[in-house]
Amino acid sequence: MTQTLPPQEKVHGLMINTDLSKGPFYIDGMDTTPKLFRKRCQNLGDRTAHREKRFGIWRSHSWDDYFTRAKYLGLGLVSMGLKPGAVVSILSEDSKEWMYTDMGVQCVGAICAGVYTTDSAVQLEYLVNNSDSRFLLVENDEQLDKFLQVRDHMPDLIKVIVINRDGLHDFKDPQIIFLDDLYRIGAAYDAANPSAFDTLIDATKPEDTAILVYTSGTTGKPKGAMISHGNLIYSVSAGLHDGPVFDTDDQLCFLPLCHILERVFSVNGPIAAASTINFAESPETIFDNLQEVSPQTFVAVPRLWEKIYSQVAIRIGDATGVQKWAYAQALKSGAARAKCLADGKPLPIGTKLAYRFWDFALLQNLRRMIGMDRLRRGGSGAAPISPDLLQWYHSIGVPVLEGYGMTESSGIISINSEIANKIGTVGPAVPGSQIRVAVDGEVQYTAGNVFQGYWKDREKTAETFTQDGWLRTGDIGTLDNQGFLTITGRLKDIIITAGGKNVTPAEIENKLKFSPYISDAVVIGDKRKFLTCLVMIDQENVEKFAQDRRVPFSNYASLCAAQEVQDLIRETVDDVNQDFARVEQIKDFRLINVLLTADDDELTPTMKLKRSFVEAKHNKLISQMY
Amino acid sequence: MSQDATQSNVVLQVDNLESYYGPIMAIRGVSLSVQEGQIVTVLGANGAGKTTLLKTISGVMDPEKGTIKMDGDDIQSLEPDAIVRRGIVHVPEGREIFPLMTVAENIAMGAYTRKDRSNISHDEEMVYSYFPILKDRRLQRAGTLSGGQQQMLAIGRGLMSHPKLMLLDEPSLGLSPLLTQEIFEIIVRLNREQKVTMMLVEQNAKVALDAADYGYVMELGRIVMNDSAGVLAASKDIQEFYLGVSQDENQRGQRRWKQRKTWR
Repeated sequence: MTQTLPPQEKVHGLMINTDLSKGPFYIDGMDTTPKLFRKRCQNLGDRTAHREKRFGIWRSHSWDDYFTRAKYLGLGLVSMGLKPGAVVSILSEDSKEWMYTDMGVQCVGAICAGVYTTDSAVQLEYLVNNSDSRFLLVENDEQLDKFLQVRDHMPDLIKVIVINRDGLHDFKDPQIIFLDDLYRIGAAYDAANPSAFDTLIDATKPEDTAILVYTSGTTGKPKGAMISHGNLIYSVSAGLHDGPVFDTDDQLCFLPLCHILERVFSVNGPIAAASTINFAESPETIFDNLQEVSPQTFVAVPRLWEKIYSQVAIRIGDATGVQKWAYAQALKSGAARAKCLADGKPLPIGTKLAYRFWDFALLQNLRRMIGMDRLRRGGSGAAPISPDLLQWYHSIGVPVLEGYGMTESSGIISINSEIANKIGTVGPAVPGSQIRVAVDGEVQYTAGNVFQGYWKDREKTAETFTQDGWLRTGDIGTLDNQGFLTITGRLKDIIITAGGKNVTPAEIENKLKFSPYISDAVVIGDKRKFLTCLVMIDQENVEKFAQDRRVPFSNYASLCAAQEVQDLIRETVDDVNQDFARVEQIKDFRLINVLLTADDDELTPTMKLKRSFVEAKHNKLISQMY
Repeated sequence: MSQDATQSNVVLQVDNLESYYGPIMAIRGVSLSVQEGQIVTVLGANGAGKTTLLKTISGVMDPEKGTIKMDGDDIQSLEPDAIVRRGIVHVPEGREIFPLMTVAENIAMGAYTRKDRSNISHDEEMVYSYFPILKDRRLQRAGTLSGGQQQMLAIGRGLMSHPKLMLLDEPSLGLSPLLTQEIFEIIVRLNREQKVTMMLVEQNAKVALDAADYGYVMELGRIVMNDSAGVLAASKDIQEFYLGVSQDENQRGQRRWKQRKTWR
């Protein structure tokens, strides 16, 4: 390498830019993920890169394997006509093949775009056409059927590659091949052009678009955010700077890889840190997989942290008196210790001894039970998390730190860290970045990971940037005097009541969501006389509540209809109302009495309610309240 | 609530029932009601907790939590024989007849709890009128009967206690389609003519929904759906998962995967 790098320094075992406020960015001398990926694979060879469970056994796959698969996959596509800068879409649950696709496509200079498995055939058609995808990888027969339904409307697609052959052995179609065929084509191409792959990797540049991430789009069609190699290298540098990951770490991948958070944390992060990724079998088995893997570092959405807490709370509820007492004592000593640590004060000897005892007698077992006995650092993002919940985790010795980011910032903007953590905030700006709050309260951001713009949408791109080129996050927030950011809501969600009062619904919704019985809520009231809300209950906790109080119910709808459940939510709403001025109080509410799944329009893939869809679909419930 | 629980003619009312096998929770809070004169079916796959539910109702298993009311009285703490005396008879899965006793003796065993000895022979005739084949085989050892005949015998034995409510556990188990049809016809006739309220657990959703007035669907120890049999039979999820109706043919003309259940 002949070019001169900007000053580098070693941080947690990685060489990164000393000054992260200026690009180009390097990790261990590499300015794109493909180059770094090649370097890692060459050095790490037969060490385990990732594990996947097959027939109940965790199977390891080496970095060599990772590289070969990515190479054959990428070259296979090249030999069938993939050009640098073109897009390849993948429609699959998280799997090692997802990563092979991501790396294979990026290594040959093309762009990888993920499609959620919960998307319908029509949505698939939109995403493939909007992104001008030339190739589409689908997970299995189920996803293939989506393609077949709309294939006539995708004229630009060259080939479709099916990853899993099960149930398709006698299936033949000229446009469709299987992944093992693709590997074979790629291997043949590699044999004929032995230097092709290296040449393509060398040709990748930081300013090239690496991935397209479609934003869930609560209004209008999804938009493809273009994220460059440089963006990703910066996100990883800044993320690992404050939240180190080591090559001995195990991680668990379970959120959709289409989501920027999981993508950066489970694909790009591990390539830089040389850590091991373990793929959860399915969303239903996360808790078991968590126990089996016991990751050292783990990032999840608030919903999952809540579920783990609920499971513990339910078990404690059924425990004996002595056990309950011990649990309370242990939590008390844990809370005292956590408070000292948070204030940066030395631990009094009494607190230290008490914690040591309870940690030995109880807390370490509790951590083992939830698969967090090795956890050094937990992260929560993608939605606000209850401060009480974070306190609880800190008390049991599991540091869960909240962060903030968005697709347009390649995943991260601010994170709390062990050295700078303030519960209730989303932390200070990551190193090298800057956050400011505009006059209207909007959080604006500038850094090396601000995206390149939306794919083929200049107008929307222009709307996303300020005159002076800062990213408009669309979130409202405040910065405290130490630089910690607090997010209070979405700018465009601001409700103006008929009385002319501006209300930030997220402030109220978040407070509601912090109740274990409320999974999500949407406040209604734009141009109306008063505020109301629609509530999605947390099935497990409310069922438990009903069961304990002998409230009869047969299914989800009758659970929602039960008077006791209505009263329970009413109480929570009343509690939350106390914190707000009269005009900002919820006058009435309705429960959404169908159990929503990720297939429903009203939910994002991370199970958040989408305001516009909810308002449209549950119009009847809303009009009942006015 | 599903069926209107406030109605006066509720025979069986189950609320928030929880049952365990050791540490394993087999029923996780089930509430349901059965009205007089109805045939109610409980559908579900293997391990859904259907049999456990019947066993808990008939007193063979004790619930951990919850109440079972028969005609308004709590029965969850009663012994099985006391529950039979109250008018609930359980026809268990796999018949469980007495194989070494004759058909007639088996039927007589069904009247064990009865005090009105004089009417027994009249009832025996009634049973034989529904199951003429049993009359022909009355002196044969029950263990030598065919599966269908054993099922008839088990139902006939159950009838002898003059039940108000009969709990039938998979009456179609191991029977040919034709025999299944026959057994269900008799079940419906018994319901209409003898006024026996029926609660039947089935894996064969088609026959069960044809015969039943109302149905519950159980999954993993919980009720996920309940409605009148007609509505259930028309539901997309029931059709796909229980009736084997393939929703829409796809381009490939075959489909291996199942859609996600929503129970709506």
